Amino acid sequence: MPVAQVEGLSKRYGTIQALDRVDVVIEPGCTGLVGSNGAGKSTLIKLLLGLLVPDHGRASVLGHDVAADPLAVRARVGYLPEGACLPGDVTAADFVAFMAQLGGLPPRPARERTAEVCYQVGLDEERYRAIGGFSTGMQQRVKLAVALVHDPSLLLLDEPTDGMDPQGREDMLELIDRIRGELEIDLLVSTHLLGDVERVCDRVVMVHAGRVLTQGPIAEVAGTTEPGFGVQLGDNGPQVREALAAAGLRTRAAGEQLLVQGSSDLVRDVAAERGWPLRRLVPQAPSLEETFLRLQAAQGAAAVPAEPPPATPEAAAWGARR
Amino acid sequence: MSNPAPTAPAGTIYDRGYRHYEGPREGRGRRVRAIVVAGVRRALGLKRNWKTKVIPWGLLVLAFGPVFAFIGVRVLVGEAVGEFLGYGRYLRIVAGLLLLFAATAGPELLCPDRRQNVLALVFTRPVTRLDYLLAKLAALLLVVGLIAVVPLLVLFLGNTLTADSAATYLRENLDDLGRILLAGGALTVFYSVVALAAASLTDRRALATAGLLGVLLGSSALANILFFTTRFDGRRWFALLSLGGAPGRFVDWLFGDGFDPGTLAQQAGITGPAYLAEMGVVVAVAGGVLAWRVLRLRP
Repeated sequence: MPVAQVEGLSKRYGTIQALDRVDVVIEPGCTGLVGSNGAGKSTLIKLLLGLLVPDHGRASVLGHDVAADPLAVRARVGYLPEGACLPGDVTAADFVAFMAQLGGLPPRPARERTAEVCYQVGLDEERYRAIGGFSTGMQQRVKLAVALVHDPSLLLLDEPTDGMDPQGREDMLELIDRIRGELEIDLLVSTHLLGDVERVCDRVVMVHAGRVLTQGPIAEVAGTTEPGFGVQLGDNGPQVREALAAAGLRTRAAGEQLLVQGSSDLVRDVAAERGWPLRRLVPQAPSLEETFLRLQAAQGAAAVPAEPPPATPEAAAWGARR
Repeated sequence: MSNPAPTAPAGTIYDRGYRHYEGPREGRGRRVRAIVVAGVRRALGLKRNWKTKVIPWGLLVLAFGPVFAFIGVRVLVGEAVGEFLGYGRYLRIVAGLLLLFAATAGPELLCPDRRQNVLALVFTRPVTRLDYLLAKLAALLLVVGLIAVVPLLVLFLGNTLTADSAATYLRENLDDLGRILLAGGALTVFYSVVALAAASLTDRRALATAGLLGVLLGSSALANILFFTTRFDGRRWFALLSLGGAPGRFVDWLFGDGFDPGTLAQQAGITGPAYLAEMGVVVAVAGGVLAWRVLRLRP
């Protein structure tokens, strides 16, 4: 049974269509919600929490209709919002305990669980310090403790690694991994960092400009991109791309290299014919990033199916790098 | 050789792994109460650094100090000092403290939540905006009532216990007890609602405090200027423009202390019920503004 489901959900802010007839199914486990900034990720999460009212469509979370019973949803969902949202002059222990009481816990259990949860997220003695003196990473931990303290069945994390240094990001991803594994809490992790999703999630929902590009298990979604090669041929300029295209290869710029799909022998032949130095020719694994960029580019031209095509055994073998 | 007696274990291993909460979960009332308690603590600067305690505790000392000093004198001298500190006169003084207290505590309760975006977390719990509004109002009513009503109740109790006959004092002055509760309650509601309404209009505490003091004190100055610089029959109604003066005038009327000679209140000749009605209108308007602002809050 899905932990959350939305059908035909639309939300407009003035002239901006934040979400447009979105259908999403969130299965148990850890699901990544990925998209560029402004894609509609935060709007979708706020609609799931009942903080926003949709223009069309319906959403249900943990079996509750969000529009009919938003308080029942919020009692069982933990939320880590994006950006600053913590009081600076209160200790972490006091604030987390306060939020536990707002989640329905009596005062004494609220304090006890605050101590436990703060320990779990790596805030042990620091919880007695005012939050205003915390680093970004520590503040993210406080937000995670707030999201966990009332023992939710589903966690909605909005950009949980936002603004964190590499070590802090690594720690946060480990925490998310533990929440899913040890704590057995289902998660929806919203981020624009596809690497984070590949690292901790089982499934992914890709959104762009208010629409769902694709959704499903990561191995399947990543496998929808045909494998190719990262190529550095001559200066990788327009002439090179034209020559490769003339040879029947599909090319796309990807950073400093060209991503080429087709036979590597053809790349070699073009290099030999034109006398261009072939500096790089390496197999490129299908990845979420490739899939996302491809689908994002395609969306402008045609409607993109919400469900990914069936994964081939080869694609599944490429798999998500976990 | 006999077996050694079993001994207590040298240590205990505690499992500090995550555990799910399986205890009771409380309802809406307790969640509202949690916001009220947090609000009272915040208004009084409890569990925060010493700078946040200066204003609330300073005003509390000013409100309670004279009462305890007077009771001490009564204990030493007896009923001879009975006229020294009347309830009405004392409440008139306390009204100034109430204004300052509400003007600082009200913004303290509402502004930081919005400025620091804490509502993004609060409203993701099963808490409605109405719950939030009622809890914040209850918190301010409690702390403002602490200054408006409690010192006078302590004074009344002190007067009763230090009287030659406590029963006689209680019987003869029971009306005063009713006046204390009525006047203290009216002032508490007036200052609390108006202060929260001002705080709901901005997320800057200093701006809300300055704005509230400016409107209440400025309206009194305006009423005096209009009354004393104009000459027509209906000018006495300018007294009702003085939003900051209405509570004190109502108190003066209720306790029968009369208005100070030569003042706008004395010359206008408007009685207490009119000032009470004026306070009611102000509370209704301020309450409407407060509800309109808070119930539309978006996290």
